[in-house]
Amino acid sequence: MRMDRRHHILVCTFFIWVLLLTGCATEHRFVKKVAFKDKNKVVMTFAGPVDETWAKDVANYSVYEKQDPDILLKITDIALSPDKRTVTLTFEDALNQDQAHILTVTEMMSAGRSQGTAILTVKKLYFGYLFSILIGAMIINNFVFTKYLGLCVFFGTSQKKTTAVGMGITFTIVIVFASMMSWFLYQFVLKPYHLDFLQVVVFIGLVSLSVQAVDTILRKVNPALFKAFGVYLVLVIANCIIIAVPLILADNEYNAWESLMLSLGAGTGFLIALFLMSSVREKLELANVPPTFRGLPIAFVVAGLFALAFLGFSGMSIF
Amino acid sequence: MAPTTKTNKELFVNGILNENPIFRLALSMCPAVGISTSVMNGLLLGIAVLFVQVFSSCTIALIKDYIHPRIRIPTYTLTIATWVTVIDLVLAAYVPVAYKAMGIFVKLIVAFAIITMRLEMFACKNTVTASFWDGLGMGLGFMFAMMTLGFVRELLGMGTLLGYDILGFRPLLFFALPAAGFFLVGLMMAMFNYIEVVYNRRKKGL
Amino acid sequence: MKQILRITIGLTISCLIAGSIMGLVFTITAKAKKHNEHLNVQETMLALLGYTKANPAPSDLRFHSVYRYIIEDGEAKYIGYMVPVKKGATEGYELVVINLAGKFVEKLEVPISPEAAIEEGERETALKTVLRHPKTFTYADTTIIARLGDKQLAYLLPGEFPGFKTFISVMLALDPNFKILGLEIMEHEEDPGLGAEIEQEYFKNQFKGKSFEKVKRLKVIKEPLPDKYKRYLETKKWKKGMFSEQEIESIRSKYQDHDIYALTGATISSRSVTNGVKNIIKKFAYRMGKLNKVIASQHIAVTF
Repeated sequence: MRMDRRHHILVCTFFIWVLLLTGCATEHRFVKKVAFKDKNKVVMTFAGPVDETWAKDVANYSVYEKQDPDILLKITDIALSPDKRTVTLTFEDALNQDQAHILTVTEMMSAGRSQGTAILTVKKLYFGYLFSILIGAMIINNFVFTKYLGLCVFFGTSQKKTTAVGMGITFTIVIVFASMMSWFLYQFVLKPYHLDFLQVVVFIGLVSLSVQAVDTILRKVNPALFKAFGVYLVLVIANCIIIAVPLILADNEYNAWESLMLSLGAGTGFLIALFLMSSVREKLELANVPPTFRGLPIAFVVAGLFALAFLGFSGMSIF
Repeated sequence: MAPTTKTNKELFVNGILNENPIFRLALSMCPAVGISTSVMNGLLLGIAVLFVQVFSSCTIALIKDYIHPRIRIPTYTLTIATWVTVIDLVLAAYVPVAYKAMGIFVKLIVAFAIITMRLEMFACKNTVTASFWDGLGMGLGFMFAMMTLGFVRELLGMGTLLGYDILGFRPLLFFALPAAGFFLVGLMMAMFNYIEVVYNRRKKGL
Repeated sequence: MKQILRITIGLTISCLIAGSIMGLVFTITAKAKKHNEHLNVQETMLALLGYTKANPAPSDLRFHSVYRYIIEDGEAKYIGYMVPVKKGATEGYELVVINLAGKFVEKLEVPISPEAAIEEGERETALKTVLRHPKTFTYADTTIIARLGDKQLAYLLPGEFPGFKTFISVMLALDPNFKILGLEIMEHEEDPGLGAEIEQEYFKNQFKGKSFEKVKRLKVIKEPLPDKYKRYLETKKWKKGMFSEQEIESIRSKYQDHDIYALTGATISSRSVTNGVKNIIKKFAYRMGKLNKVIASQHIAVTF
């Protein structure tokens, strides 16, 4: 049992490192780090001190957005840190930090010796980007409160906290499973053979299939868990989020990691929405609601208030 | 359940009023909240749902004797998905601008509970003609509800109808905001409940 | 066993029928879809140039498309412009390759007809025959040049940039001096009632008539839109005699060099449109300058 856990932690740390490394490594041994700063700055950290006369010469740097190699961005100021290891380039206009920038540094001079020319890619941390997809799908663009999807199941299962949590967890598991399968099939079968128009049929088929698979596996592996969550499995398929997520993945051409994050975010977002709603509805049971509003109508008004609150997150960006 | 005894006219009216999918059965709420911002959206999505509902009902009623009971649900899903794909392709080809306004919702018709429910409850036990009228009633009921919501939201939120300027000003911009769909659907449901209560009271009084 | 066989056969048959129905509809609609999309773009372009049903476009109005490609040859990068050229009586395409500094590198004939060049896939196969193996190329953008008789009328630039929520795609019309003739919002997913107002005339028409010099410094200001200006901008709501000629002229000159008034409750959307338009025009003006120089110095017989 202990071995198992250690193994688990090892795998997790490994994946986190892989993610972090993909974001940090630069293409040249002498340049340790290169990153955006503020709105219009790029900071480079070198492995050793660089010569001031070389560092201050604008002609040694050229920067362009990856898809516009013919348009060089204008550098207005170069600052060298006192230890001569960090160079900050300031640009005339704000940089479009969602795009990767290519920075070419010619003949880096360190202590009178040339370290060669470096072609570097400046981009946001990939890990940060993945995290922003997760948080985006979970809260900022919550599928229930800002995209208005999955409402039937949402109103049907948000009467009690226990039901809400059960439904949310089951849904998250199934959606991750189904989205990853749909992503795989879309990228490797539908797209290469120009069968895009079969999207709807294939995705709904895969969703039914994964619901069935989770049902069978759970029944065999953990009957106790099946007893608790089995009833929600049937409802999962009636939730339009589960078909919306694969469609969004196909539309945006996400890769495997991004797809995983979006589906995970969509699932947990649904769980959060259900939990919030059920907390309110449990209290509503005790309130004195006019008879015509009792039940669904008042639930809709409450959901509207939540949606207004979530509108406040709209457009927020993390990283 | 035995085949229906209702006449075609009763079936037709049933879908629009007594069993209105949105206001009475509270099914397929997502588009009612999400894209009911204008009458045009309501009309187009209504047409799409009507098409899928009628064609799926007829298809299932036609082949009901050949469906093996154990693969009933997969067959329904396949039928619906096929007709959704067809209407999706047609709309994308012939009304590209309006299609873009509806976004992902046309494809999502495949997950609308109302259609599967009608197939399971009605089409698999009745004749093609009865299923046709039932599907038509349900589809029109959905369209009617969507257009009512769109009418209120477009008129009060933007002061226009079908894109034409009617009022010349915007009475309540709030109704055009995305979140207002929840409030409006809630209020509409309460209204239908109230009408029912009053109607029943009158009936008792008489 | 017999059961399973029946189920399998039943499912296979229904899948086949469903598949053939969808395939049939797809093949029927695919052509119409392309045609309608093309028509839609064409209509937008005409509307931007001020031609409507009441004021139809003259018969000698021609559109010529220039396609830009980024060509990579190992470490080196070049920009390739696929330009329409006169070849005797007919039209053909040539690929003009320019290095990053704007110097002419080479000129290649592309075996493609103007009708086929509209399709991205067709262009790709044609380009593959002239740009051989180690060279790779990626499509960047299209510029459409409108020509009326023997004079250049406008540049039409489709573009895309991040908005408040997702991407906003637009079409810009510029005159030969890069003054904005019009802006059309093609696609966006901003919030209705707030950011979605960018497609309203009183916002997008503010860009009309801004000179290149002004565009370079264009900003968004958070002030209420003056009522008279708003009525002036909503050209679709104009009634006869609402503005006299003098009034139109005075409003036009008053606001010509004015910054963009932000939409109420959607400053970020307003700002992203303004910055997006600014970037598209700045990049385009820079590239067009380089390309025109090369075309003049190499005596390329372009049709535009």
